[in-house]
Amino acid sequence: MLDVALVSLIQDMSEKAGVEGTIQYWARVGESLAKRMGKEAYMGWPSFNVALREGRTAFSIEGSVMALTDLAITDVDGDVVGYIYALETCVFNPTTVRIRYSVGELPRADRAVADEYNNSVRDTAVCNFCVIHQRFREEVSKNISIADQQLDCIQLAARGFTGETKIAEDSMRKIGINPEYVRSLLRNYACVYAIMMKGARLKGEEEE
Amino acid sequence: MPEDNNQRAKVTLIDDNPLVDVAACLFLEDIADKQGASGMNNYLVSLATSLAKSMPEEEYDTWDEFIEALENGESIISAFEEVMAITPNCAVTKKCPFTRGWQEYTKRIGEFSKIHTDVAEYYNSVYKPCVINSMCIIHQTFRNAAADRITIKGKPLKCANIAAVWEDGTRKIAPDEWLPILLEKAQITSTDLNMILRNNADVWVIYTD
Repeated sequence: MLDVALVSLIQDMSEKAGVEGTIQYWARVGESLAKRMGKEAYMGWPSFNVALREGRTAFSIEGSVMALTDLAITDVDGDVVGYIYALETCVFNPTTVRIRYSVGELPRADRAVADEYNNSVRDTAVCNFCVIHQRFREEVSKNISIADQQLDCIQLAARGFTGETKIAEDSMRKIGINPEYVRSLLRNYACVYAIMMKGARLKGEEEE
Repeated sequence: MPEDNNQRAKVTLIDDNPLVDVAACLFLEDIADKQGASGMNNYLVSLATSLAKSMPEEEYDTWDEFIEALENGESIISAFEEVMAITPNCAVTKKCPFTRGWQEYTKRIGEFSKIHTDVAEYYNSVYKPCVINSMCIIHQTFRNAAADRITIKGKPLKCANIAAVWEDGTRKIAPDEWLPILLEKAQITSTDLNMILRNNADVWVIYTD
């Protein structure tokens, strides 16, 4: 119920504080959620991926996340510095359905917040809630270390409720993943992102 | 026609992702950091009222028709919770709709922030003294605002909370001076109430003038 109530408030908030104000609120919520969940440390990528599969990492709060271990990210020396991860169901999808069957339709502010985020921050949002959980992932990765190295999270692609997609092609080039491959992942998954060692020297970056 | 064929299927919404609920709790905590318990209370009331106002109005020709819609989850007042009518004027919520979010919060983040009970104390002292925490404020405000959108035989529906029990067992029962009147309207005794509270989350009275 809280989810539907919150969405009904977005319109009101956006009218009072502007869509930029809503984005700021949502970004703060994402940061605060990550901060409150605390730090994690893993011996190596296998232990992190097992923790993810078992729902023990902070990332797991979003739902079922698959580590696509066939899609390793390597640095200039060919060492594995990260992987691609895919969220099965968009966090906001159930709420969208619940709104459809209780209220009727999403408030206009949902689209307005996503559009403003895409114009002013990063072109990766398919709905207003992307602002919270994309920021959440960025902040969470700062609190997790693998082999004593801090992580970084990069948003790659998302598919919204109506089938609209957002593909961050520049980010994919940096990590050396073909955008068409990630696009095909969206047939099965709602959101695709990379988790990797912070500061890793990537092939794609060297080429730039 | 066999009786089973006449029974309509109960309408239930799919479960939400608890991350959205947890994020909502943190949003409210952020508001409280800046505006204190009273500011948070304003947001909670506004959140619940605006939700009810965004839902369609309802008209019923008979009380029985309303009760059937209530129990089947077809009425806006029972859209988010499983409700059963113990008597024609007493409804119970079997499970608090905020439980999942709270469980995910306590599992992933830790103890529920104290502000959620502080705001309830504020609400109890200023408005109606029957809430345990911030979630009850949303729930009870929504229910009252939803009741304002329902008419039965042309008369507006009224409702009032008699008692609530939170997941940790904390109970809040209407004040002693109100309780006999509410129980009489609900057609239950105080013993009935205690029995109902063992395995239900909320007990409320519904009536028209």
